[in-house]
Amino acid sequence: MIKRSFIGLTEPKLKCDLVEPGPKEPEAIPIPPRLILLLNEPLDSTKEILVKKGDMVKKGERIFLYKESKEYVSAPVSGTITTVAPFTGDFGELATYLVVETNAKQDIDKSFTESISIPDIQTANSYLRGIAGNPPLKLLAEAADGAKSNGINIKKIIISGIDQDILCTTRQFVLTRFRDELSKSVAFLKQLTGINDISIVMPDALATLSAFNGMNIVKISSDYVDSLSPMVMDKYLGIPFIPNKSCEELGVCFISIEALFSLVKSYSEKRPVYEKIITIIDKKGKKSRVSATIGTPIHRIFTKIGVETAEKDRIIIGGPLKGVAAYTLYYPVTPDMDTLMVQDSSIIPTISDYPCINCGKCVRICPANVPVNVLVRYLEANLYQDAADSYDLFSCIECGLCSYVCSAKIPIFQYIRLGKHELNKIELDMIKEAENV
Amino acid sequence: MFKQNKFTVSHAPFWHDGDSIKEMNLNIMAAALPAILFGVIQFGMAALGVMCLSIASAMAWEALFCMAAKRQIVIHDYNAAVIGMLFGMMLPATIPWWAVITGTFVCVIVGQQIFGGIGANPFNPAVIGIAILTLSWKHLFDFDTALVNYQLAFTALDPLAALKHQGPGVVEMFPLSSLLMGSQVGAIGSVFGIGIILGGIYLIIRGYIRWEISIAYIAGIIITAWIFNITDPAKYATPMFHLFTGYTLLGAFFLANDSSSSPINLIPMFIYGVMGGFMTILIRNIGVYPDGTVYAILLINLINPLIDKIRPKAFGKGCKQCVK
Repeated sequence: MIKRSFIGLTEPKLKCDLVEPGPKEPEAIPIPPRLILLLNEPLDSTKEILVKKGDMVKKGERIFLYKESKEYVSAPVSGTITTVAPFTGDFGELATYLVVETNAKQDIDKSFTESISIPDIQTANSYLRGIAGNPPLKLLAEAADGAKSNGINIKKIIISGIDQDILCTTRQFVLTRFRDELSKSVAFLKQLTGINDISIVMPDALATLSAFNGMNIVKISSDYVDSLSPMVMDKYLGIPFIPNKSCEELGVCFISIEALFSLVKSYSEKRPVYEKIITIIDKKGKKSRVSATIGTPIHRIFTKIGVETAEKDRIIIGGPLKGVAAYTLYYPVTPDMDTLMVQDSSIIPTISDYPCINCGKCVRICPANVPVNVLVRYLEANLYQDAADSYDLFSCIECGLCSYVCSAKIPIFQYIRLGKHELNKIELDMIKEAENV
Repeated sequence: MFKQNKFTVSHAPFWHDGDSIKEMNLNIMAAALPAILFGVIQFGMAALGVMCLSIASAMAWEALFCMAAKRQIVIHDYNAAVIGMLFGMMLPATIPWWAVITGTFVCVIVGQQIFGGIGANPFNPAVIGIAILTLSWKHLFDFDTALVNYQLAFTALDPLAALKHQGPGVVEMFPLSSLLMGSQVGAIGSVFGIGIILGGIYLIIRGYIRWEISIAYIAGIIITAWIFNITDPAKYATPMFHLFTGYTLLGAFFLANDSSSSPINLIPMFIYGVMGGFMTILIRNIGVYPDGTVYAILLINLINPLIDKIRPKAFGKGCKQCVK
């Protein structure tokens, strides 16, 4: 953990880690006997469910919950479904939790293999969602299909070779490891999506590698917030950030470098790629990399590479500033899980219920000039609409630095996310109501 | 399989820079130590007694109030201790015990707790205490009579009172070097200029006070006093005399910087500081009080919420594409 320096006159500058020179190959984690899959659709007892306990699935087969379902999850192995249960995400998102017991005999679902003669975004969307890296296929397919685009018009694709948090290096590893395949992959992406405006963002230290000559590269500094998508757009690409509008609404689609390579590999090997590369950071800060099948419970990874966890430790998915904490070692590897971090219970910082003392550290460090000191007072009082109207709630780019420096240890970042979440929920409810009328 | 560890689950960020309110207050107390130690050496055990009583009673008042209000007692964050310490630094060494205890009551309860405790006070609590005490028992703050029994090796006159009554001719009686080195009559913690400056610089380097406020305050003092001085040198004292006497330095580094009653954006900090210096000199030169620091700081605390609205545009605001 990076602590405050003795000289506190200047604000702390957090740097993103660079991938180590000459990285080792990731250690392959064997396919476990049980896999856990998360399907992004809630269970609804009023509908007739298609998946049942005891159903057999083939490797690569898509699992739909209901007849009319659009969401699916594809099985990385062939096996038997043993559990279908509801699952609740971090902000109350409802999903379904499936456990697949691996069969000794692996049957392969051929429907993808048979339908991929030419790369086409609609086919990719119907078969390859949820492959390693989680490519935004649904978004791209809907944007390409005018009828479903909801006004989203993707004009530019950004391949992201930068990691989203300060200790993460997975994307940088993938970028350097497979750098020779990059130009071929970009050409493939152009063919697949029909979008020709493609840039690759990467840390400036890696951009000097000769493999990247002649490509449309955007060099990003290693300062922490520069790696976040709104900053990349505003500062490096000259696309002004608009509060409460996502990058997609501004016509830009981000795809992680790993997702791109998975797509290319899925087409060249004629099978969906489920092997996700994950950087593991143990309690001492030592990094190692593994390649695990999506759905592998994380305790399998920890046991395999010898990372120990004890009572009251914290398991962090993602980095130290933006990640989420997992409550169980049976949490599965998900398509977008780049980093796993274990924090020892003795160094977990506490939070407090102190009020803001107006020391101003958050305002000085905020990259988005949000008046955090006033904002947090409104958010504490649940005045979310006032916070958004007068105190720039939606200008926040969610970097987490305000909570990192807060002397009073107020969970500011959580208040901000909660405020945004509540307001978006109200907006969605209003849209739904208007539709019903 | 059956015995599962329970993990700590909370929200991001999972790191913290390790700073805390307690750490901040301890640093402020450490920074004030040279000035206080000098005061104790100069004014003897009486000064130590006042300081101890002031800090102790401030903490006791906070604890009592928290108990009465059924709030969690948080005196271990030393917030009340800092208030008591700053209040004690502004007192003459011979002040009676009941005045100290009444003063800390005003500071902690009236100045801070009734507004909601730490972070909610609109004025610097210690300054509120001093202001109410000087209005109520004016004679206690006459430093000349308060220190009449001391045998001092330098001009035993309160420089600012002497200036008020006898005009700028007295300035020659107080060489700047001796004012800086603490050879002056005044409050326990406000006489030793060098000590306060060193403490202030320490706090600035550590980042516990905002340098913009201190620098702007000093600039406000110097510029305003200089303008007065060049318009009529026979009537108004020199800027440096004002800077090193009374509560000026204490105000610049410790009082105006109280975090909850001062602004945090760049331009407001400069306005706030310069206004403070300007008002101090205005009260000293035109008003009836010998030392205007206390009232000047209350005045700038008052305008703080208003001027702190001057702030840079937030990310993505004010651009052409914005719909609302």
